[in-house]
Amino acid sequence: MPSDTNASPNAFAGMSIEHHLTELTILYGVSRALQRTLSQRKALQTILVGVTAGPGLAFNRGFVLLVDDKEKALRGRLAVGPESPEAASVIWNELQSKHRSLGELLDSLEESEIGVDVSVNRIVSQINIPLEYPEHPLIRVMRSHETALARQGVLEPHGLAVDSQTSQLLGAPEFAVAPLFLAHRDLGLLIADNAITRKPIATPHLRLLQIFAQEASAAIENTLLYRELLEQVALHEQANEELRSNQERLLRAERLSTMGKMAALLAHEIRTPLVSIGGFARRLLRSCPPEDPRREEMMIIVSEVARLERLVMEVLGYTKLAKPACAASDVNALIGSVVGTMQDEIGRSRVSIKLDLASDLRAVNLDEAQVRQALMNLVNNALDAMPQGGTLTITTRMDDSYLEIGVHDTGAGILKEHWSRLFTPFFTTKASGTGLGLVIVSQVVDNHQGSLRFESTPGKGTSFYLRFPSGTAGGSSDPPAGGRQGAGGV
Amino acid sequence: MKKILIVEDDPHLSRLYKAELETEGYTITLAEDGRKALEQVAAEMPDLVVMDIRMPEMDGLTAMVEILQKHRKVPVILNTAYSCYMDDFLAWAADGYVIKSSDVEPLKTKIREVLSSREGTPA
Repeated sequence: MPSDTNASPNAFAGMSIEHHLTELTILYGVSRALQRTLSQRKALQTILVGVTAGPGLAFNRGFVLLVDDKEKALRGRLAVGPESPEAASVIWNELQSKHRSLGELLDSLEESEIGVDVSVNRIVSQINIPLEYPEHPLIRVMRSHETALARQGVLEPHGLAVDSQTSQLLGAPEFAVAPLFLAHRDLGLLIADNAITRKPIATPHLRLLQIFAQEASAAIENTLLYRELLEQVALHEQANEELRSNQERLLRAERLSTMGKMAALLAHEIRTPLVSIGGFARRLLRSCPPEDPRREEMMIIVSEVARLERLVMEVLGYTKLAKPACAASDVNALIGSVVGTMQDEIGRSRVSIKLDLASDLRAVNLDEAQVRQALMNLVNNALDAMPQGGTLTITTRMDDSYLEIGVHDTGAGILKEHWSRLFTPFFTTKASGTGLGLVIVSQVVDNHQGSLRFESTPGKGTSFYLRFPSGTAGGSSDPPAGGRQGAGGV
Repeated sequence: MKKILIVEDDPHLSRLYKAELETEGYTITLAEDGRKALEQVAAEMPDLVVMDIRMPEMDGLTAMVEILQKHRKVPVILNTAYSCYMDDFLAWAADGYVIKSSDVEPLKTKIREVLSSREGTPA
């Protein structure tokens, strides 16, 4: 691999036409290979193979340093080369025995990545020069757009002393530094040395390295542009996705609002005749002597009307959910009061209730009436899910961004085929239910920019989790976008 | 015997309330909208008005405000199928707010409460 063209300082002038041809072939081969790739790693590997391969520039080692715009630093990215003369002879013998041409070598890069030279890459990964130090010799060479040769600790023709860290890291008596740049943009540096053979670097090779660096710059710029393009495309896709989901949310909200208005209208229309029917039935019942056989039938009218009136109330409760009127709330106290007001229902069931409330809850901005309604609906569902008895557990916990209320039952669980319709208005699995309970829960959570999630295991039970942005109570912090997700994708 | 004016546009409901409240021993007169209620309050000077809100001609809230302005001593209980008016500041001026239900008991209780509190205050 080491080329003896390195030997003479003014070999360029005396080089044979054959040599020129070889160099041109190398350039052509590398530039063709570079044009084929948009992967930055492949491009860097191709560049470095071109710098170091026997049939190429035949430097012992090559290093690429690139400007990292995010980190605002010039950072070592990739290196190629053996770590010692022993390792070098093994590699070179192997290459020679395979009679690989540069073209073959570059093609093999296309198929698979070449092995990473651990030792040189450990060196290159340690190079990290902040751009805010413009006096650093390597940064100055990059900014100068002029190739430099470091010899005896001085970078010429710049006349800059090599910093001790760089000379220690590279450990070579001489090294060449070619800036990678385009008219408008400094990309980095291509560094090459003969650390193994310790051969001096000849001027013609320096010039070739410079030409090579220009070729490499264009390729690196391409990969950078391609990467930026991919990032832009990803951003656009994300924006499109958000638009789509917002549109769906809007549509859903509009549908619910229209349905809500219709439901409210109907509910009110139904309410007045119900009051007459039930009111007169109660009067008749009161005037009936105790032994009258018609009493039982009247009682059926009275109780059925009462049931209808409760359903109407629920529908009206749902349609009343407008913008929440929030105030700093103690959620644990709210849960206590919900359990208190539902003592009758809980008492009638064979369900035992357990509260597992975090003691360190801060006050959170909530519309207590709405959250109370949501919790009552969840508790009602939980009781209905456990006709044979069980345990209803209510939990609270809090972190910096949200407060979570969990309502857990040990009931039959929700059938998977019902998951997707759980939050659809008027969908119910109960013999008597409006199918609005969970819609109200979801609406309340949405109104608070919170999120709703459930987990259900058949035969084991169901848990609903309501998350509300914790923010600072009374503050106007921007709550995270809400969303509903089921354990299986609702 | 206390006189109660029931303002209700639904004839079945006014019949129900009349029957129920007469059983309680009150004298009941009926008006079917807010405008008629104003005339009857002026003519009959009832001890209490039970007022529906959504009615033709004149709604219950407007009628109530006029009654309270002209006859400050006549208490008004709003009796409605709608809970949304509870947030209406006009409704705060009422002596009571009852949501219509087939169980007339809450209305009767509210009437008793208002009348007994009025008895305590000098005319």
